[in-house]
Amino acid sequence: MRYVIPVVAVLLIGYRLWRRRQGQPPWLLAAARARLARRHRTRWDGPSSPVGLVAAREIRERLRSRAFRIGTGLVLLVVIAGVIIPVLRQGSHPHENVGVVGTLSAPLRQAVLAVGADQGVEIDLTQVPSESVADQQLQAKQINLAIVDGQRVVVKSASSLTGDRVVAAVAQTVALQSGLQQAGLAPEQAAALLHPKVLPVTSLEPAAPPANRTARVTTTYGLILIYILLTQYGTWILMGVVEEKANRVVEVLLSTIRTSQMLTGKVVGLGAVALAQGTLLVTVALVLAAAVGSDLVKGAAPVVVVSILVWLVLGYIFYCWVYAAAGALASRQEHVQSLAFPLQVPILFGYIVSLTALASQHPSTFIHVLAYLPPTAPFAMSVLVADSAVAWWQVVISAALIILATVGVARLATTVYSRAILRTGRRVRLGEVLGHAAA
Amino acid sequence: MTLRMEGLRLRYGDVVALDHLSLTVPAGEVVGFLGANGAGKTTAMRAVFGLVSLEAGEVTWQGARIGPDERRRFGYMPEERGLYPGMVVREQVEYLARLHGMSAPDAKRSAAVWLERVGVADRAGGKVEALSLGNQQRVQLAAALVHGPELLVLDEPMSGLDPTGVEVIGQVLAEEAASGRGVLFSSHQLDLVEHVCDSVAIIDHGRLVVTGRVDDLATGGNPRLVVRVEGDRDGSWARALPGAHVIGVEGGTVRLVLDEGADSQPVLAAAMQAGPVRQFGFERRRLSEVFREALACAT
Repeated sequence: MRYVIPVVAVLLIGYRLWRRRQGQPPWLLAAARARLARRHRTRWDGPSSPVGLVAAREIRERLRSRAFRIGTGLVLLVVIAGVIIPVLRQGSHPHENVGVVGTLSAPLRQAVLAVGADQGVEIDLTQVPSESVADQQLQAKQINLAIVDGQRVVVKSASSLTGDRVVAAVAQTVALQSGLQQAGLAPEQAAALLHPKVLPVTSLEPAAPPANRTARVTTTYGLILIYILLTQYGTWILMGVVEEKANRVVEVLLSTIRTSQMLTGKVVGLGAVALAQGTLLVTVALVLAAAVGSDLVKGAAPVVVVSILVWLVLGYIFYCWVYAAAGALASRQEHVQSLAFPLQVPILFGYIVSLTALASQHPSTFIHVLAYLPPTAPFAMSVLVADSAVAWWQVVISAALIILATVGVARLATTVYSRAILRTGRRVRLGEVLGHAAA
Repeated sequence: MTLRMEGLRLRYGDVVALDHLSLTVPAGEVVGFLGANGAGKTTAMRAVFGLVSLEAGEVTWQGARIGPDERRRFGYMPEERGLYPGMVVREQVEYLARLHGMSAPDAKRSAAVWLERVGVADRAGGKVEALSLGNQQRVQLAAALVHGPELLVLDEPMSGLDPTGVEVIGQVLAEEAASGRGVLFSSHQLDLVEHVCDSVAIIDHGRLVVTGRVDDLATGGNPRLVVRVEGDRDGSWARALPGAHVIGVEGGTVRLVLDEGADSQPVLAAAMQAGPVRQFGFERRRLSEVFREALACAT
C-alpha cells in the first residue's frame, strides 16, 4: 500500500509527458475532443489562455505594488523578531555579582552557584582581598553581596535581604551550611543535605507526547498565518473586483472573456501570490528557528507544517469566491469595508475558537464539529491535527467537504458576480440578484 | 461579415430599453447609431457582447449567433470608459490584445503601432491615471483596435474629446471601414458625426425610427437655403416670406426651408432689399433635423 501512491503518481506524470509529446491521443473521437475542449476552456490551459493571462496580470501587478512589498517586508521582520527575541531572552540570564573574602569551601561554592541556577540567575563569584575592599565595592554596587570566610554575609542595606530573592537565598544557604558545619557535619555532608538527589519516579499514567507542546506552538503561529492571509487576500480580491467595477474596465474585459475565466484567473493569480507569501514566511521562520535553535521548530512535526499550508490553500479557495461575489455588489471603493466585515465574521470566529481550543488540553466536541464545517474547518482541523486528535481519513473527509462546498460557492459567486457587475450607480442588494435568479 | 440585430427586446422594470430593434452593420461601412440619451444605444451595443440578457431577438454575425469566440474578434469601446488606472499604458493595451488572442510579440508590436496612431506614443511608458481624460480616451480607442478586430463597436467614442481627437477618431473609423471592417458607433451629438458615417440608424425609446444612407437622408425633403445679409442680426427680413419659412437664425445667418414647389428667387430678392447679401446657397439637411422630423412623425 505504501508504494502504491508514488507508483501511481509516477505513472500519471509519465502518461502526461507522453501525451504532450504525442499531441492529442488518436483514439479520441473528434467530437469528444471538441466537447472536452469546450468544457476545459475556463480551466488553466497554459499562460496564454485567458485564465492564465488574467492570473499573470494579478501576480505582476501585486508583486509590483509598493504597499505589497513593504507589507511583506514588515511581516517578515515580525516573523524574524518573533523567532529570535525569545531565543535572545533565554540566552541573556541576569547576573548577580558576589564578592568572596577569605576562603570559600568547594561544597559551599557549589551550593551558592546552585542557588543561582534555581533562581534563574548566574552568580559570578569574585575574590575580594579584604573586607574593607568588599565594603567599598558594595557601596559602589560593583557587588550585591559579600561572603566573608564562608561564615558571614555582608549586604549594602538590610532591605536587600527582603527585596532581592537571590541575595536572600544565598544568605540563607550560607547560614545553613555554616550552621550544619558548626553542628559537626563535614562540608560535603552539609552540602548533600542542602541539595538532596532526586529519586527516580515512576508514573502509572503515560506522560503527554513530548511533541505536543511544540506542535501547539507551531499551530498557534499557523492559525495566525491562516487568519492574516485569508482576511488579507480576501480583501484584496474584494478590492480588485470593486476597482474593476468602479472604473468600468470590467465591461471591456467581459466583452472579451467569460465571467468564469475572469474570476478563475483572479483567484488563481492572487492565490499563487498568497501561497508563495505564506510559504516564504513559513520557510524563513523554520530555517531561522533551526539556525538559532528556537523552540518553534524543535520537534515540529512536518505533518503539522504541511497541514497548515494545505488548510491555508483550502481556506483560501473557499473564501476567495465569496469575496469576489461581494465585490461585484459594491459600486464604489467606500463599500469595501461594509462588505468585507460580514465575511470576516466566520473567519474571526473560527480563528478565536480554535486558538482557545489550542490552549485547553482536550479539544471539545464543538471543535470537532467546526472541523467539518467548511467556513471554520481550516482553523479547527489544524488544531485537531496538532493534537493528533483525528485520524487521516477524518482530515480527508473534511477536506472533501470544503472542496465540494467550494464548487457550490464558486457557482453561486459567478452567478452573483455576472448579474451584479454591470449594475452601477448604487450598491446592489444580494436579494435583488438572487431574487432575479428565481424569477 | 455582417452584424445583424433582429427584434431585440429588453425592459428594465417598467422602462423599455429595446423595443423590437433591428439593425444591420455591413462590412466596410461606418454606421452611426444615433439617439438622445437613454434611447437604448448602449443597451443594444451591450447586447452584441452578451452583457445584457435579452428578452427576445438575437444578434448574429455572418448569419450565426455570436459566441465567445466571435466576441474575441470584435473591438469594443464601452460608454463607461474603463482602464486599470495603476497600470502602465503600453502594458494595458498589450494585455487587452493578448486577451483577444494575440501572441505576446504581436501584441507588443500592434500596441506600439496603435498608441502611435492615436497620438499617445510619448505617454506609453506612464501610468493610465497620469493621463488627461482625453488621452485616456485615445488609449481606450487603441485598446479597442489593437487586435485588428473584424467588427468595431464604439459607444460614444467622440464624447469628451477635443476637436483634434474627434478628427483622429473620424479618420481612424473611415480607414477601418475602408479596409473592410464593419463599424458601429453611437453618438447623441448628431451634427458632429454626420460627415463620419456612411449610414445612420436613429433610435428613440428603443425603437428604430429612421435608417438610411446619410446622403439620402440629407438630400431628402424640401430644399433648404442659407442666407446671410450684412448688418442683419436677427433675420427679420425673412419673416413672413411667401413660399419659405425660417428654421433658425444663428449670428445673422438665416436658414430657411422652401415650401413644396416654391422658387428660391423671391427669397434672394427679399434678402437684397434688406442689405448686401454675403451668402446665399442651398444646404443639405442636417441629421438633427432628420431626427426631429422623424420623432415628430413617430409620435
